[in-house]
Order: sequence, then structure tokens, then C-alpha cells
Amino acid sequence: MEFLANLWNSFAGLFTVTPGWMTFGGWVAAGLTICLFSFLYKDNPFFKVAEHLYLGVGMGWLFQVYLFQTWKPKVYAPLMEGQFSVLIPTLLGLSLVTQFFPRISWISRYGFTFIMGYGSGLVIPMEISTNFLRQIGGSISPFIGATGPWDLFNGALVAFGFICVLFYFFFSVEHKGAVKKASNIGIYFLMLYFGAAFGNTVMGRFSLLYGRFDDLYKYSDASYFYATHVVLGLLVAYFVLDKLVLSKKNGGQEPAH
Amino acid sequence: MKNALEKFLKIDRRLIFLALTVLLFAPIVKPLGLPNKNLGKDVVNIYNYIENMPERSFVMLSLDYDPATRPELHPQAVAVVKHALRRNLRVGIFTLNAGATGMIEDIAARIPKDIAPDKVYGRDYVIMPFQPHPVAVMTQMGINIYEIYDKDRNGNPTRDMEVMKGIKSVKDMGLGICITGTAMLDYYVAYLADKNKFPMAGGVTAVSQPGYGPYLQTGQLKGLIGGMKGAADYESLINDVEKGTSGIDALSLAHVLVIVLILTSNIIMLVLKYL
Repeated sequence: MEFLANLWNSFAGLFTVTPGWMTFGGWVAAGLTICLFSFLYKDNPFFKVAEHLYLGVGMGWLFQVYLFQTWKPKVYAPLMEGQFSVLIPTLLGLSLVTQFFPRISWISRYGFTFIMGYGSGLVIPMEISTNFLRQIGGSISPFIGATGPWDLFNGALVAFGFICVLFYFFFSVEHKGAVKKASNIGIYFLMLYFGAAFGNTVMGRFSLLYGRFDDLYKYSDASYFYATHVVLGLLVAYFVLDKLVLSKKNGGQEPAH
Repeated sequence: MKNALEKFLKIDRRLIFLALTVLLFAPIVKPLGLPNKNLGKDVVNIYNYIENMPERSFVMLSLDYDPATRPELHPQAVAVVKHALRRNLRVGIFTLNAGATGMIEDIAARIPKDIAPDKVYGRDYVIMPFQPHPVAVMTQMGINIYEIYDKDRNGNPTRDMEVMKGIKSVKDMGLGICITGTAMLDYYVAYLADKNKFPMAGGVTAVSQPGYGPYLQTGQLKGLIGGMKGAADYESLINDVEKGTSGIDALSLAHVLVIVLILTSNIIMLVLKYL
């Protein structure tokens, strides 16, 4: 492990952040962003390359984080100090890897048994308390703690919507008469929630897009040697060329995507 | 007339992408300075909570977001760190998301430069290393924080640090804020806040914001910052214009485009149906 850490440090030393590396990073970021956005026009090899790189780099990053921030301090270091008790959780964790070897995959059950038991014991009481009992209390408390008529109306509306939505999801009684009416009102409350959630989703997606554009604008600066302009220009040139070649091959018809 | 309207409904979607690109890009090149006049009540609640905390109280800031949600959540984190350090509170930055370490590096580099140059690492703030298995970590944080965080991210012992003076578990801390694009805030509410009667607040993406309404109503969350709008609100409250505020121009224009497109298409549909 120490050897690996030293090897990693020497390797990482090659990439000490210098202005040159920052510029290179800008080119990579701008290039990959534009390559991924190019899918909005149509599928292309540059999009595929960026997509696969994203997965690979993400996995590599996670691997090194887990190796040096978990395995080293939580397993290797205690073992070197003679704390052999860490071998128990380590072996239980390693047992999960046997899933990949059918002949000994039964060993993984020990790890999973521990996860199931530990997880259930931790989750069930907390879920009942946090997401069940407290929420029922939350539907009643506005009536008790109301400071004015508006608060009271607000509390009544939430409680009314809550009961109507519950009726919509209550399938043991046939939905007719008063139950059907309550269930239908429940649908409107659900639709209001979905509308608000969708509006927020749109805003969230725009924010993410804005974030990428903001970075692209940064990389279009002279200090980055106009990375955004150059990459965008090259990609447009590719699409024009592709169109011209396709026109010759298929008589102007693009293949269906 | 009818043909033209039908043609409009079958408009190439790439033209809409182009219009959106122009509207989002234009304010970056030339900011319009559109005002942000409606501050969210839940954002103001976090601000007030921090304002009313006694000096040198400890704020646990769990930054659990990765580059995918950076534009929404990073401005929130920067604004909260600025506010807490300006109020002379102690700040502990934690993460239970492996992808967040790069974002935390950025904040760590900015604190001595422009966020709070007068603050000292180890005395006023500390950055803890990434830890896997959030639920186990949260459970332990309620008992003895040093069982998990005995060293900071640089390997220095945390017990001796001035910033950790008087802190044994989260029960000794003043407030916890989890900024995340995942379900980490739900875990914090269940396994840390409710269990230890620990005041908790959150910062989340706009997508997941409506789902936290019940926790706000019951007081399980003291406040909530939602999306880039929430970040802009917080920046307004601390009088510090950053990425959140500058994004409001772009978001407003993009929303106008969406509203115009929805209204136009619905009117056309009605015209085609009834006229």
C-alpha cells in the first residue's frame, strides 16, 4: 500500500497544477462539453468518445478516492499498528467480491447477511419515527400552533389534501360516492405537486445548462487560446463535411437515427 | 393560415435548443442585472438561524454534491461558508460523497484568498476527509465524532485543534447544513437530526426541493436552500454577488421562453380545434 501511495504521489507530482495544465484542462473541459452537447444536433463519434470517457474517468476517480481515503487509513494503517480487529469488517466486505466467482459465491451471503441485519435494524425504527409518526404529527400540529386564521386555513388545506390523497391510494374500498369524490380531489392535489415539481425540474436543468455555458464562456477567453471557439468550429466543420459526404453517398438522404 | 399554424407545431426541436442557447448565453456575455426580489422564506430562515447563533458556535457543513450538480449547489456552499465565517462561527466541512472532494478543494483554496482571508485553518475551520457508508458515519457522529474523524483531510489529529474545542459529538454543535444533490439530506434528518435533537438545514437541487416540504413543516429542517434561485437568495441576504445571482438573468429569460412556447402552442391547438 505504501508503495502504491508513493507511486501515486510521484505520478501525481507530474501533474502539479501549473498555468499550462490549467489551459490544457480548459481545452479538455470545453471539448468534452461541446462533444456531449453535439448529440442535440445528432449522434456522432465525438459524443460517443466523450460519453465513454465520462464513465471511465468517473470510475477511476472513485477508485482512487476509496483506495487512499478509505482503504489506506481505515484498513492498512490500523493493520500496520497491530489492530487486527479491522480484519473482521474487511473480510466481510471482501466476501461480497466472491459474487463474481460462481463456485465460491456462497461466501458473499455472510457479508450480505450482516448488511441486511445491520441495515434493517438501523433503518426500520428511524423510518417509522422520521417519515411516519413525525409526518402524522406534522399534519396535526398546524392546528395546535396556529397563530392566526391564515395559519389555520393553511393547516386545514394541508390536512384536507393529505386525507384526499390517502383516499386515492386506498384500494380496499370501491371508489364510488363520497370516497370517489375525495379520491378525485386527491388527484388535483397530486397534480399540483407534480406541476410544482416539474417547474422546479425545468429550473434545475436550466441552472445546470447555465453552469456549463458559464464555463464555456470562461474557456473562450484568450488565456485559454479560445478553446471553446476552436472546438466548436472543428465540430461544425465535421458536421458540414459529414453532411456533404452523406449527400454524395445517399443522394441527400440522412440515415434514420 | 391553418397550414402555417400546423407547421409551427411541428417546428424542428433543434431550433428551440438554439433559442435556449442564445437566451442562456446572452446574459453571461452581457449581464442584464434583473432583480431578484422574492427571497424564499426557507432560505431566510437559515440566514436568520446563523445570524442568531452565538459567536464561535460550531457549524457542521456536509458538502455532498459532485460536478453534475455543481452549478446549483456550489454557489450555495460558498455563500453559506462566507456567511458562517463572517459571523465568526467555527466551520467544519465534511463530505460523505466521494465526488465532492474536488468541489471542497475549490472552497479550501478560496477561503484564504477571497472568502475569509483572516480566518485560520485549525482555529476557525477544518476540513475532514471523505468517509464511506453515510449511515454508519452519522450514527457515530451522534456518539463520538473522533471515532470516525480522528484526523483531518491532511492527516493532522483533530482532537488537538482549537476549532474542535468542546466538540465531542453533534450534540455539541450549533447547526448542521447538508448541501447535496442526492438523498443524503434525508439520511441526515433521520439518523442525525431526529435522533440527536440536532438542528439541521439543507441545500438541495431545484428538482428535489418540493419533496422536502414535509420536513420543513414539521421543523425537522430549520430551512432549505433550493437550486440556483436559493443560492441567489442567500447571496442577496449576505450582500455578496456571485454565480447564483448572475444566473438569475439567464434563468428568467429561459423561463420567459418556456412560458411563451407553452402559451403559443396551447393557443394554436385551441385555434386549430375550434376555428
